[in-house]
Amino acid sequence: MAEALIRALIAAANQAVAAHRDELSGLDRAIGDGDHGHNMARGFGAIAEAADEIAALPFGKALQKAGMTLVMKVGGASGPLYGTLLMAMGKTGDEAPGTVADAAAALEAGIAAVKQRGKSDVGAKTMLDVLAPVAEALRAAPPDPRAAARAAADEGLAATRDMRATKGRAAFLGERSVGHLDPGARSSALLVHAVCDVLEKQ
Amino acid sequence: MSEAARQMGWVFGQAVIRDPTGLHARPAVKLTKLAKTFGAVVEVRAGGDGGWINAKSPNAVMKLKAGHGVPLEIRAEGEDAGTAVAALAALVDANFEG
Amino acid sequence: MSDNVSIVIVSHSRDVAKGAADMVRQMVGEEVRVAFTGGNADGGLGTDVAAIIAAIESVYTAKGVAVLVDLGGAETNSEMAIEMLGDGRGDNVVICNAPVVEGAVMAATEAAGGASLAEVRATAEDFQS
Repeated sequence: MAEALIRALIAAANQAVAAHRDELSGLDRAIGDGDHGHNMARGFGAIAEAADEIAALPFGKALQKAGMTLVMKVGGASGPLYGTLLMAMGKTGDEAPGTVADAAAALEAGIAAVKQRGKSDVGAKTMLDVLAPVAEALRAAPPDPRAAARAAADEGLAATRDMRATKGRAAFLGERSVGHLDPGARSSALLVHAVCDVLEKQ
Repeated sequence: MSEAARQMGWVFGQAVIRDPTGLHARPAVKLTKLAKTFGAVVEVRAGGDGGWINAKSPNAVMKLKAGHGVPLEIRAEGEDAGTAVAALAALVDANFEG
Repeated sequence: MSDNVSIVIVSHSRDVAKGAADMVRQMVGEEVRVAFTGGNADGGLGTDVAAIIAAIESVYTAKGVAVLVDLGGAETNSEMAIEMLGDGRGDNVVICNAPVVEGAVMAATEAAGGASLAEVRATAEDFQS
């Protein structure tokens, strides 16, 4: 049932972000303005508060509503980015993705929208450096999609350490952004793991 | 006024910049706003050298280096040219008050 | 009084946004409507989409609205706000690629003379210190 799935995803995402709130802000303090954890917790907390309303919607509409909630509540630069990600994914269809290929397609639609919204691309040390490898891993039709997604997310995150930021507040640090994980990539990786954990139990 | 200038129909005027800081941001904005109320082409020049610049362009006037004591030349062409020149000169003379 | 393009100032700091609006009002006068917003929902540094929408709506005119922003997040949130205005109003709102304070003053100066939105934006973006 879509409703149970949506509730589980909301709970898992909210919990993941809340549990890592300080870590995310710490990463953001190194190369940003130190509020990524706080902002994400606010945004996903608002989604959790609206869980009843969101879970009653068809899956695609639920994603869009969650996305809009993030836009309005996260603040910072990540609000529009995560919001756009979910809204674009939700627009690919009302039904939850039934196959790995469908999931890959939805994620790819989200990634394209984030690239446009953030005027960015992979390699710029952002959330895209986790999301794009995850989409690629799913596209490859792996025998164990969840393990593949988790591994791609972790590798993508680790790769951001040596990248130089050219987008967002971290870009002002230039060379000094090298050697630090990107906070948006970290939160993306957390969310990928949260989603995989939920799907495993379904 | 030269014969050539008279033939072109320009009206000329001049006023001396009185503010110790010269023509800085706030008076520059006032000058531009006033110039824009006239239909005539309105131009200014500082210190007698350099080219005439469009007095209705905020960026152009902002860039004009006109220090304290510098004569600001004004010229206008069009139906209300005379009024425009007189008004701008009066504004500079009043040290941009009012 | 004929309609003028209005100005919206969006900064991560409410103080900066308010200060810039005060400067515009004092230097340019009352004939150009100015709205400002700054800070996030908690009152800290940041920008808030709902507040930006409200600011634009408070001075919206079909003649046009020029938005001045400071850093990245302000621009992205302003873009979202403009898209969310609805009824095609977003077509009459533009974000100027100019420093927030100077751009606001130059834009308002140009707007006071009745200039079009395109002219107002060009003047703001032409600014060089």
